[in-house]
Amino acid sequence: MGHLLFILPICFALIVLFVPKNAVRIVGLLGGLTTLVITVGLICTYNSANGMHYFVKQDWIKGFGMTMHFGYDAISLLLLLLTAGLIPLILLSNYKNELASNRLFTSMVFFMQLGLTGVFVSLDGLWFYIFWEITLIPIYLIAYWFGAPERKAALLKFFIYTFVGSIAMLAAIIGLKSMAPSFAYMDLVNVALTDKTVAFWLMAGFFLAFAVKIPIFPFHTWQPDTYAKAPMAGTMLLSAIMLKMALYGIIRWLLPLFPEALETATYCIIVLAVIGVVYGAVIAIKQNDMKRLFAYASLSHVGLIAAGLFTATVDAISAGVLQMINHGLVALGLFLAVDVIERRLHTRSLSDLGGIAKQAPKFAFWFAALAFASVSVPFTSGFIGEFLLLKGIYNYDWIIGAVAGTTLILGAVYTFRAYQLSMYGPVNTAEFADLHWSEFVVFFIIMVIIVVLGVYPAAIIDFVKPSVTNLLELSSISTSLAK
Amino acid sequence: MTVQQLIPLIIALPLLGAFINGTFGKQLSKAMVGVIATTVMAISFLFTVLVFMQVQQGDAVSVKLFTMLKTDSFSLNAGFLADNLSVWMALIVTGIGTLIHLFSIGYMKNDPGFYKFFTYLNLFIFAMLILVLGSNYFLLFFGWEGVGICSYLLIGFWYGDFKNTIAARKAFIMNRIGDLGLLIGLFLLLAQFGTLEYNELAQKVLVEKLIPSDWMILGITLMLFIGATGKSAQIPLFTWLPDAMAGPTPVSALIHAATMVTAGIFLTVRSNYLFEASHLTQDIMLYVGLATSIIAAFIAMRQNDIKKVLAYSTVSQLGMLFVALGMGAYTAAMFHVTTHAFFKALLFLGSGSVIHAMSDEQDIRKMGGLRKMIPITHATFLIGTLAIAGFPLLSGFYSKDEIIAHAFTHGTWLYVALMASAALTAIYMFRLYFVTFFGSFRGTHEQEHHVHEGPVAMTLPLIVLAVLSVFGGLLNLPGVWLHKQAHWMSHLFEQNVAGFTALPKHAENANLALILMVVAGAMSLLILLVTYLVYGKKGSLPVADEAVTGWEKLSKNKLYFDEIYNFLFVRPLEWLSLKITQFFEGIVLHRGVVGLGQVIGKSGDLVRKWQTGRTDSYLLWMVMGLVGLVVYYLIYKN
Repeated sequence: MGHLLFILPICFALIVLFVPKNAVRIVGLLGGLTTLVITVGLICTYNSANGMHYFVKQDWIKGFGMTMHFGYDAISLLLLLLTAGLIPLILLSNYKNELASNRLFTSMVFFMQLGLTGVFVSLDGLWFYIFWEITLIPIYLIAYWFGAPERKAALLKFFIYTFVGSIAMLAAIIGLKSMAPSFAYMDLVNVALTDKTVAFWLMAGFFLAFAVKIPIFPFHTWQPDTYAKAPMAGTMLLSAIMLKMALYGIIRWLLPLFPEALETATYCIIVLAVIGVVYGAVIAIKQNDMKRLFAYASLSHVGLIAAGLFTATVDAISAGVLQMINHGLVALGLFLAVDVIERRLHTRSLSDLGGIAKQAPKFAFWFAALAFASVSVPFTSGFIGEFLLLKGIYNYDWIIGAVAGTTLILGAVYTFRAYQLSMYGPVNTAEFADLHWSEFVVFFIIMVIIVVLGVYPAAIIDFVKPSVTNLLELSSISTSLAK
Repeated sequence: MTVQQLIPLIIALPLLGAFINGTFGKQLSKAMVGVIATTVMAISFLFTVLVFMQVQQGDAVSVKLFTMLKTDSFSLNAGFLADNLSVWMALIVTGIGTLIHLFSIGYMKNDPGFYKFFTYLNLFIFAMLILVLGSNYFLLFFGWEGVGICSYLLIGFWYGDFKNTIAARKAFIMNRIGDLGLLIGLFLLLAQFGTLEYNELAQKVLVEKLIPSDWMILGITLMLFIGATGKSAQIPLFTWLPDAMAGPTPVSALIHAATMVTAGIFLTVRSNYLFEASHLTQDIMLYVGLATSIIAAFIAMRQNDIKKVLAYSTVSQLGMLFVALGMGAYTAAMFHVTTHAFFKALLFLGSGSVIHAMSDEQDIRKMGGLRKMIPITHATFLIGTLAIAGFPLLSGFYSKDEIIAHAFTHGTWLYVALMASAALTAIYMFRLYFVTFFGSFRGTHEQEHHVHEGPVAMTLPLIVLAVLSVFGGLLNLPGVWLHKQAHWMSHLFEQNVAGFTALPKHAENANLALILMVVAGAMSLLILLVTYLVYGKKGSLPVADEAVTGWEKLSKNKLYFDEIYNFLFVRPLEWLSLKITQFFEGIVLHRGVVGLGQVIGKSGDLVRKWQTGRTDSYLLWMVMGLVGLVVYYLIYKN
């Protein structure tokens, strides 16, 4: 069934190019849902006791060392689920936009899904790289074709950043391969990196690619501009799903491949990530453009996830996966909320807004619920995720943990400032139509998942824990090999 | 029904009410909404009474629902613990909660957000019950944050006015500062004991005597106390509570006087065995509490907003409670929490009734002479005032006296300081009472015409609370006159609350207790007499805002706490935010990348002649190629 994960997105990417314009959005939704069903099927049939499940495992281009190794464990499955779940939601949240009826746009979304799926199931260094790069294409095109008028400079910046990162990663993959029989994941993991300098630079190659995409401070400056200039669907794809590739990369590749190099680098990386947590939050406090505001908020939130992952403990990584799902949902919801405002009022600058809650009470409710989810209050999935992540970081180093904890306070400052300035106070905008059913459905689904996971986070944590444990064992094998 | 069945029901009922009113409230009539919300509360209260009767004499009962999360090092359970402490708190929450729900039906009847108000109110009770009934610190934190949200929603309930929403935000953020402390305290507890369950912790500390190192226990207790300063409005995190008066008055009564703000007290009493192990934290708590108590009482002296006076009074009383906790007088603290819940809820609801009668006027300078116009409100307000001022034989007299008696054995200076705080309390409360109800009416003609007593839904809770405020002292009578029923609450908590039997007993000296009571009673009577002469008989009035000078100006301007915080924290943070955006984001990081881009762009010019130069067309071809590759593979190689 694993093959379908590739076949379906390709098929739908092509099909939507040829269906009549008024059927595009329905076909798009159907396509997204089909993949979702398949993914759920995979999850139901997956037994975490079996560890990594390869659905393709064969040699391919022998001389070159490239293999056909594709497979998944619980970590991959959850990210596949996140992708497959969010794609239909993104399509649905744009249902009312002209964009949703655009064939090229919908096609690109499915290409995106193809690339993302590939990243999450590739167990071969080269395939991982290829899919990693593929995702860049649709997102670039979506932003280029449908973005704001002054998007070009922002996109150039985005391109340079990610390109430099990717090249570094490619070099590192090839470098690592020179010491292994093939590009296959297990072969790469089993490389004994005895030379510390080499190990460090190879690690740095991977890290740069991931650090740019997450982004970790100070590799983030492409992000706010790109988010601001991309169409909302692009921003949603970028923040809700695409940056999870890099977080996934840390778990799947960085930690098991370079445990010995990370021993020395971890401290610096965690410090950088936590600086990002505070830095993003502080900047978000005075932003006027809501999209930029939530972009910086996102920087702050994912910094915390990244810092937690690098502590390399089962609890923190499991919580990291939970928090990735949570961040995907919340980011999608918040950007949709901004889009709801922008569609109606053609502005998203806080100084022009106010009093929307009086005009659109339904929207006010769901936006408020998301704002609370974003500051990780109890009964939302972010609460447990943040709790465990902060605990992990705190156990690693209590001062860093305490600094990271300020996100609790600063998060409340910027989120409620944004909410209150736009929704409360005297009405100073023109008419504001309340939610369209498609928008309502998206908000509703997101919040239901968030609350369910908030009350019963064990659903995710228990599912993912065996795989995380296996993964960390790999990393300790890898350490002992080096010694 | 057994306790195991009742406890989940007690908690679920308010949630059910919130759900019904939240989803269908708009379609339902206002009467229906109010009845639903109040009924679930009443049933919940009834069940709590049933639980209390079963738990009272026996052992504590734990109820485990499910495991929320299990990791290798610890597990987090959704479970409840019913001992006399948690059930007592639940009684206060549901009991006073029911009365305030009832009052709100009358008070909010003309508000368009009626159903929303009751949804939030029910939701608050739900979170508060999780806070007090949860079986571990994690659930306490769950409820702790939950009540914070409801508090935020209710303070900013009238969001049309920007001032209210800013007050709501301030409350939420200041609470979050405390929450961070509490969260770190939880991490430390986990690191030290590997569990957050009360039972297991008590077992480890009290039975196995696994007391951590001095530094560790200091860290744990200090962090818990920081959490408490946020929620229970102590220095330095107290300035949100007076602002929180922006919410509707029943909210002030329920959340910001009777229940939520006592969560910090509850947390400390619950962790008594931890605090007993760290005398430094106890001392810090005592000094912070004392400072808060006196400063807040000082500020209350010259406030002219009826609700602001009561708010600062609450802060001051909470400070006094922390003094009690710092001395290890946990039962005395719980006793005062209880009586305070009675008379402060009464006073707030009374002020609500006054505001209702005065067509939303809150400035006492524009009231006056209300004694005869709203007799029930007047009588009950008078009882509340007497109770808080320590008038002999009313509830506040006994509960405050117990704390003061502890202070006397602790040190004379502490006794004097607390008496000073109590004296200030009596002065500003009588001032408030006389200015509001005596003299002649000073409002507009229209207001005068409109002054009226509220409906039964409003007067009934006032009467019930007034009765409780009078007789509440019976709960823990000192062993001076009655020997049989004396110290009923002490016995209650020693029955099955962890840590209480291990507490050192203060030798009861009946003569000393009697003397202290006589002194306190005499002081209260004297102040009543003097304030009556000044404000009641002579009719002195607070002067206009511009005319205040000297210490009165300091009191009126709240000792400039807000201004100082603005200068020290808010403005620097905003400055930092702007500067980082301009300088770091805008110049340093941006220049670097754009510079690199230009270099690449220039070098690209050389090659561009052979190319179309359109990135998108390249990318499209690349996509096609890759797709072809993958399709080829899937079709032919598989």
